[in-house]
Amino acid sequence: MKNESAEAIVEARAVGKEYALGKQTVTALFNVSLMINKGEFMALAGPSGSGKSTLLNLIGCIDTPTSGRILIEGQDISGKTPDELADLRLNTLGFVFQTFNLLPVLSAWENVEYPLLQQRDVDKKTRQERVQHYLNVVGLERYAHHRPNELSGGQRQRVAIARALATRPSIVLADEPTANLDHKTGEGILRLMKDLNQKEGTTFIFSTHDARVMDMADRVIKLADGQIIV
Amino acid sequence: MFKLAFRNIFRQRLRTALTLAAIITGVIAIIISGGFVEDVFVQLREATIHSRVGHVQILRSGYIEYGRREPSRYMIEQPKDVLGIVQSISHVQAVMTRVNFSGLANNGRADLPIIGEGIEPGKEARLGTATIIVAGRPLRDGDAFGAVIGEGVAAALHLHPGSFVTLMVNTQEGALNTLEYEVVGVFRTFSKEYDDRAVRISLSSAQELLFTRSVHSAVVLLDDTAATDAVTAIIKSKLEPLGYAVKPWHELADFYQKTEALYRRQFGALQAIILVMLVLSVASTINMVIYERTGEFGTLLALGLRRRQIFKLVLLENALLGLLGSLLGVVIGVALAGIISGIGIPMPPPPGSNAGYTASILLVPWVLVVATLTGALAAVMAAVLPARRASRLPVVDALRHNI
Repeated sequence: MKNESAEAIVEARAVGKEYALGKQTVTALFNVSLMINKGEFMALAGPSGSGKSTLLNLIGCIDTPTSGRILIEGQDISGKTPDELADLRLNTLGFVFQTFNLLPVLSAWENVEYPLLQQRDVDKKTRQERVQHYLNVVGLERYAHHRPNELSGGQRQRVAIARALATRPSIVLADEPTANLDHKTGEGILRLMKDLNQKEGTTFIFSTHDARVMDMADRVIKLADGQIIV
Repeated sequence: MFKLAFRNIFRQRLRTALTLAAIITGVIAIIISGGFVEDVFVQLREATIHSRVGHVQILRSGYIEYGRREPSRYMIEQPKDVLGIVQSISHVQAVMTRVNFSGLANNGRADLPIIGEGIEPGKEARLGTATIIVAGRPLRDGDAFGAVIGEGVAAALHLHPGSFVTLMVNTQEGALNTLEYEVVGVFRTFSKEYDDRAVRISLSSAQELLFTRSVHSAVVLLDDTAATDAVTAIIKSKLEPLGYAVKPWHELADFYQKTEALYRRQFGALQAIILVMLVLSVASTINMVIYERTGEFGTLLALGLRRRQIFKLVLLENALLGLLGSLLGVVIGVALAGIISGIGIPMPPPPGSNAGYTASILLVPWVLVVATLTGALAAVMAAVLPARRASRLPVVDALRHNI
């Protein structure tokens, strides 16, 4: 498959997704095709219900399409077992959630360390260096031993970003990463992601309905009613 | 994973406390009931041994099977030889010989069929610690024509210490022989059935009554009931080739064996009920906790944990919880057992007996082990289904719970 998709890190081919909502069937996505290249800093934009979160979930391998195919780094993810998908999420993908989703019983350091503990090939020394490095990058080295409930919203999201990056994923997916933060903090988070995108070359895909956030993206894909409108 | 599991346990303090309380209660229930049953066994065992049976009895082989019809044919003719062999074995405290006979007791007005025993009073006093003298005094070595009688015999023939009783028996040759005895005491043992028929006189006078120099049985008293089987084996190896039968107490005490079997069955059923109740009550709490943590499992799955790891995490948390509850339960249960034993439980007379007794809670290692395992097992069993559910959650749906 040495064609123009060689540079594409994510490729969606005629993807559709339908939900059963009671007795009705809701079409969340309809015939969406998309290519995302390595190192992009890209936004999926649209009002709520436009299908942007659904698309993000499909790319993130935490949901499966009803029709069409999704390729991550050239691999078709349909037909993979749950364990294979789990490994893909662990090694290739990083998640940043709207609600931060840190483990409340673990300190900031331990939260960042947790996915690394699942990666068998990372030894203890590398692991600690990575955690230290990414806590420094997000500027939370002083809060390493604080629990999430002792941190502000912005700080929590920084921990989540450090956690997403610590496994060295090629793609970071962020679903409305700034929706629960005030504008100033949200802007800080976005600038941090952009910095990391430029320094480390990690591909960032995030969904948003905030116009100011869209302005910072290299590319914006707009969705409405489950379809791409450019 | 261990750290995470441990911290997760202490996150929901109220829920954890509830689950722990359920497990602790179950564990305590097993310890107390199991300890009580064990105590009943030990008390019944010691009462059986120290009433009359002794730890080991040595008989002429054939006596148990045919001795009832022809007691005179199955006698130990050289009791001294037997004594010499048995007395040197360690744990043996005393060996006493007995002559058994049946006959009639007469108070001058009425007859009562009795079962008599000729005994060595000094040695029997050391064995018969569970025998209570309710009137008069025990038989002494010098009482050539004294007799102690069971409570039931005393009541039936209106006898009391100081009154006289005539015993009439058949001798080995078939002649009728009678001798008069003075009642010196009235006793009560663990067995009412025995007390209704028993007359005990000294060995020498019984031998005189029966015209014999032999004895029917040699009863061995040990310093420790636990040594019974070992001592029995030694005596068997020495005496069985010489034509003797050696019987440990548990083969002689039919009543004890059946009571123990009954109680064990009951205790087993009780334990199963406790386990089921524990599983049910713990399961509902765990289910609730797992439901509330749906979003968290979604996060873990999104981070790349495999289903099996989520399953293990939930199971590990509850195994830890169960173990913790069990250990606390054991500590509290042991303390409670100590307090209850200190106060004592007054018990009514067991079936076939006249005397009530004070029960306590006996702590036996295996009961503690069973209690601990039941507690831990209940928590793990209760967690299996919720853990399975948590690990199979569709990631997207689970994540939605975070909002």
